[in-house]
Amino acid sequence: MAGTPAPATTGGTTTTGTTTTGTTTRRTTLSARDSIFGFMIALPAVLVFLVIAIYPLLSSLGTSLYDQSLLRPERSFVGVGNYATVWGEFVGHVGTTLTFAALATVFPVIIGVTLAMLLNARIRGRNVLRGLLMLPWLLPGVVVSFLWAWIFNDSYGVVDHVLSLVGLPGISLLGDPVGAMAAVVIAKTWNSFPWIMVVALAVLQTLPGEQLEAATIDGATRFQRFRFVSLPHLLGPVTLVAVLEFIYNFGNFDTVFVMTGGGPGDSTTTLAVSLYQLAFGSYELGQASAMGVLWLVLLAFVTGGYLLLNRRLERS
Amino acid sequence: MSGARDIGEGIVNPRLSIPGRLLLFVLVLFGLLPIYWLTATALMKRDDVFAPDRPLFPVDPTLDNLVGFFRNDALLGSLLNSIIVSTGTALVSVLVGGLMAYSLSKFRYRGRNAIMFMFLVGQLIPGALLLISLYLMLSSAGLLYTYTALIVAFTTFTLPLTVFLLKGIMDALPDEILEAAKVDGLSRTATMFRIVFPLVVPGLITAAMFAFMRGWSDLLFALTLAGPDKQTLPAGLTQAFIHEGTADWPSLMAASLITSLPLAIIFILLQRYFVSGLASGAVKG
Repeated sequence: MAGTPAPATTGGTTTTGTTTTGTTTRRTTLSARDSIFGFMIALPAVLVFLVIAIYPLLSSLGTSLYDQSLLRPERSFVGVGNYATVWGEFVGHVGTTLTFAALATVFPVIIGVTLAMLLNARIRGRNVLRGLLMLPWLLPGVVVSFLWAWIFNDSYGVVDHVLSLVGLPGISLLGDPVGAMAAVVIAKTWNSFPWIMVVALAVLQTLPGEQLEAATIDGATRFQRFRFVSLPHLLGPVTLVAVLEFIYNFGNFDTVFVMTGGGPGDSTTTLAVSLYQLAFGSYELGQASAMGVLWLVLLAFVTGGYLLLNRRLERS
Repeated sequence: MSGARDIGEGIVNPRLSIPGRLLLFVLVLFGLLPIYWLTATALMKRDDVFAPDRPLFPVDPTLDNLVGFFRNDALLGSLLNSIIVSTGTALVSVLVGGLMAYSLSKFRYRGRNAIMFMFLVGQLIPGALLLISLYLMLSSAGLLYTYTALIVAFTTFTLPLTVFLLKGIMDALPDEILEAAKVDGLSRTATMFRIVFPLVVPGLITAAMFAFMRGWSDLLFALTLAGPDKQTLPAGLTQAFIHEGTADWPSLMAASLITSLPLAIIFILLQRYFVSGLASGAVKG
C-alpha cells in the first residue's frame, strides 16, 4: 500500500485565522482562553513531529559535513568533501529517479482515469469490480515487488512461460537495464492506478448532470462532452493526485529495492536505494547524508510546485 | 422509455460501446491477473511450479505453503512484531493526531497556519531522508532495535495522515454542538472527550486503521531500525527470501498472501465505517 491518498485539499493556505473574516459563528465566539486551549492540545503533535521529523531533517545537514561511518565511533569534519564525493553519483541517480517517478505517474494516471470513465458507465457488477480493483493498492509494497519479480522471473516466470506456450521467445525483463526499468514501472503502475481511479471516479460521480444534458441538447458528441464537460472537472483533482504520486515515487524505496536491488548495474538505482546502500551497505553515513541533502533541495522545488497548485485549486 | 430524466441518466451514465467493453476487459485483467497468480502460486505444489510443463492454475492444490509459514519461527516472530508495532503506531497516531486535528479544526490561534503547513509538507518527506538521522538519534537514546524505534519512525508518516483525515471529519461537525456544550456549562476538556471524540469514533477508527496499514506495509524503517528480533513482516519476508533468489517462490507467495490478508480484511471493515461515518445522523446535527 504505497500511495495512501493523502487528503489533498487540506491546505494550510487560508488567511491568518482570527475573527477578522467572521464567516462562521464559531470564530466570532472564540475567546482568548479558547485559543490557548486549542494551542495546548496541538502541542503534543507539534513536539512529536518536531523531534522525529523536522529535527532529523535538519540534523542530516550537520552529518553531511562529516566523515562519519557506522564502523567508527568518532567522526571528522570534511566540509563539503562529501558533496564532492557523491555529486557524480547523485546526478546519475537523479536521471534514473526522474525516469521512474515520471513513468510510474503517467501510466497510473492514464489507466486510473480510463478505468474511472469506463466504470462510470452503466455496466453490471461495477461496484464489485471497483472493490476488486482496489486490491493492487492494498497490498504492501514488498508483496507487490515480490509478486512482479515472480511474474517476470527469468527461469520460471509466468510471462515467459505463456509467451513460450504461444511460440514466442521469452523477454527476461529483469536481466536487462531497460527491461528492469520497465518491470519496476509496470509493478508500480499496477500498485498505484487504483487510488487515481477512485479519485477520478469520485469526481465523475459528482458531475452536474444538467451540464451534460445541456451539452447533448446543444449537439455535443460523446467526445466533446468528455473534452468540454468531464475533463475540466477532472483536471484539478487528477493533477493534484498526479503530483502527489510523483512526489511519492520520487522517494520510492521498496518497489525498486526488492525487485532489482537497483540493478542490473545501477540501471534502476533510485535516490532512496542509493542512499540506503551508502548508509547501510558501505556504512558511509556522511556521504549518504550529503546525498540526502542534495535530494532534499531537488524535492523542495517539486513540493513547492505542489503547494502552489494546491493553493490555486483551493481558491478556485 | 420516455422522459427527460431517462435521457439524463443515459448521458451521465452512458452504456459502454464494444471497444469500451474490450478496453475495460483488458484493464481489469491487468488489475486482477497478478492477484490470481499470487493466490494460485501459493496453492501450488513446488514440483508443479518448477516443472517444464507447469500448469497455469493449481491443478492439484495444496495448503502446504500456507501451513509452512506458520511452521517458520522467524516469520511467525515477524508477524507478531507486525501486530504489536502497527497497533502501537495506530494508537499513538490517533491519540496525538486526534488532539491536533481538533485543535486545527475548531480553534484559531497564532501559528496555526504554520503548524498546518509543517504537517502538509511533512507528509511529503520521503522516509529515506529521515533514515540516517533517526538511526543516529535512536541509537544514542539506546532505542535502536526496539518496538519503540519502529513506532517512532512510522509515526513520521502516519501522524500527518491521521491529522488531516481527522481534521476533515471534525470540520464537518457543526459548531453549534460545541456552543451548546458551552452553554450547558461543560468545560473545554469535557466537551472534547465527552462530546467531540464520541461523535467522531468512526473517523478515529478509520484513521487508526489507515495508520495500522501504513505501518504494516513499511519496509525501509523495518529493515534498518528493528534488527532481526523486532523486524516486521515486510523486512522478515525480505530477509527470509531475497537471498534465496528463486528457490522457493510458492512459499514466498504464500507468505505474501498471509501478509496481505489483514489489510484486505481491514479494508472491508474500513469501507463500512466510511459509510456509517457519512450516514450517521448525529454528525449532521
